[in-house]
Amino acid sequence: MYALCLRLTGDAGAAEERTQDVFVRAWDKLRSFRGESAFSSWLHRVAVNVVMNERRATIRREQRVTPVAAPEVLERGRGEPMTGLNIDLERAIAALPEGAREIFVLYDIEGYSHAEIAVLTGIAEGTSKAQLFRARHLLREKLDR
Amino acid sequence: MNERELLEAVGRLPKSIEPPRDLWPGIAARLRRSRRWYWVALAAAAVIALVVVNTKSETWKVTWLAGTGPGTLRVGESVATDDSSRALIQVGDIGQVEVKPGSRLRLLGADRTNHRLALDVGEIYARVTAPPRLFFVETPAGVAIDLGCAYTLRVDAAGNGFLEVTSGAVEFEWAGRHAIVPLTFRIEIRPGFGPGVPVVAGASDAFRGALAALEFAGDETALPRALALARPDDAISLWHLLARTTGASRVAVYERLAELVPPPAGVDREAVLRLDSRALDTYWNWLPHSVWLKGFKPPPIERRPTE
Repeated sequence: MYALCLRLTGDAGAAEERTQDVFVRAWDKLRSFRGESAFSSWLHRVAVNVVMNERRATIRREQRVTPVAAPEVLERGRGEPMTGLNIDLERAIAALPEGAREIFVLYDIEGYSHAEIAVLTGIAEGTSKAQLFRARHLLREKLDR
Repeated sequence: MNERELLEAVGRLPKSIEPPRDLWPGIAARLRRSRRWYWVALAAAAVIALVVVNTKSETWKVTWLAGTGPGTLRVGESVATDDSSRALIQVGDIGQVEVKPGSRLRLLGADRTNHRLALDVGEIYARVTAPPRLFFVETPAGVAIDLGCAYTLRVDAAGNGFLEVTSGAVEFEWAGRHAIVPLTFRIEIRPGFGPGVPVVAGASDAFRGALAALEFAGDETALPRALALARPDDAISLWHLLARTTGASRVAVYERLAELVPPPAGVDREAVLRLDSRALDTYWNWLPHSVWLKGFKPPPIERRPTE
C-alpha cells in the first residue's frame, strides 16, 4: 500500500498519510467487500480512490502539491532491495508532473486499463493515453541524461 | 533508453516499499477516535484472515511477452492488454493461455477441477493438456469447454466472435445449444444464439455463407442451398444441423448427410430423426474427422436451455 501511495503522490510524507487513510477507509468500508474479487484487489482499489479523492480535494483547496524535493526517501525503504536503475527510475517517476505520474503508475506499474483509469480519475480515455505517452517520453528523456 | 527498455525496467521495480516508520499507531489512533477502537483487534484479525485465505488460493503466473502488467493472477482479478502488449498465463499445471493485444480476461476459478476464465473482449490462444472438462473460458456468447486441445478464441466488443481449433477438440455451449469443434474446424459465436455449427477449414465461402444466413439471419431458404453445397468433409456440420432443425428440414438434413456419409450398420433413420442419443453417438463416431474422437461421447443435444 505504501509503495502504491508513494508512487501516486511522489511525496513520502503524503504517502504515509494516504497509507493510513487507506486502512481507515478500508475498515469503514469493510462491509462493502462482498468477496467478488480478491481482497488485495479490493484494498488496492480503495487505495487508488483514497489518493484520487485527496488529490481532488487538494485541487479544490487550490493547494499545490510539491513533488518530492529529496527523493532519497525512496532509498530508505526496508522492502525489496533496489538497484541503481530502480532508484533512478523511482526518482524520475516521482519528479513527473502530477497527472502524467498518476497515469503512468496506474497503467504501467499497476496494470489498470485506460478505461478503468478514466473511471478512477474522472478523465477521458484519450487524455489518459496522452498522459501516458507524455510520461514515458519524459522518463526516457530523464533516464538518458 | 527506448520504450521497451523503459517498460522492462518498470517491470523490475519492487512491488513493495516499506515506509520509513511504523504507520500502525497512527491508524489505530484514528480508528479509536472513530469510537470503534474496540473493533480494531477484530478488524485486524479479519484482515489477516482474508489475506491468509487469499494467499492460500491458487495464483497463476503471468509473463508479459510485450508490455508490462501484474505478474500474477488470482480469482477475481483480470489481465488486460492494450494494442501493443501480450501476456502468457500459466493455467495451473495444465496449460497456457496467450492473451493477445487488446484483450481483457478475468480469472473466475482456479480449482484443480475448475480452471475458469472469462474473455470479455479480445483474443486468446489456449493450449491445454489435461483430461476433458477441466478448463473453461466463458464469453458473452457462451462457454468454451476444453476437451484436450489448442484453440484460438476471439470476441469483439459486441460479444460476437469465433473459435478455431488447432489441436484436439473443444465443446462450446450456450443455453443447451452445443457444438463439438474438432481439429481444423471453426465456429462462429453470437450472444443470444451461442455457437454456430462447426465448419471445416477449406469449406467453400458459399457453404459458410448459407449456414450463416440460416443460423444468424434466420433465413430458412438458405438450408437447401447449404445442403446442396455440402461435401463429405462437411458431414460434421450437417450432423450438428440435425438437432437444430425440425420436421421436413430435419429430414432433408438427414437425407443429405446419409447421402454423403451413409450411416453405419445399426443406425436407424427414424432413430436419428427423433434424435435418439445412441443413434446420434454411433453416427458421430462414424463420421470423417471425428475418427480420433472415437469413444468420446457427444453431449446430449436435446438438453433444455439452462440459465
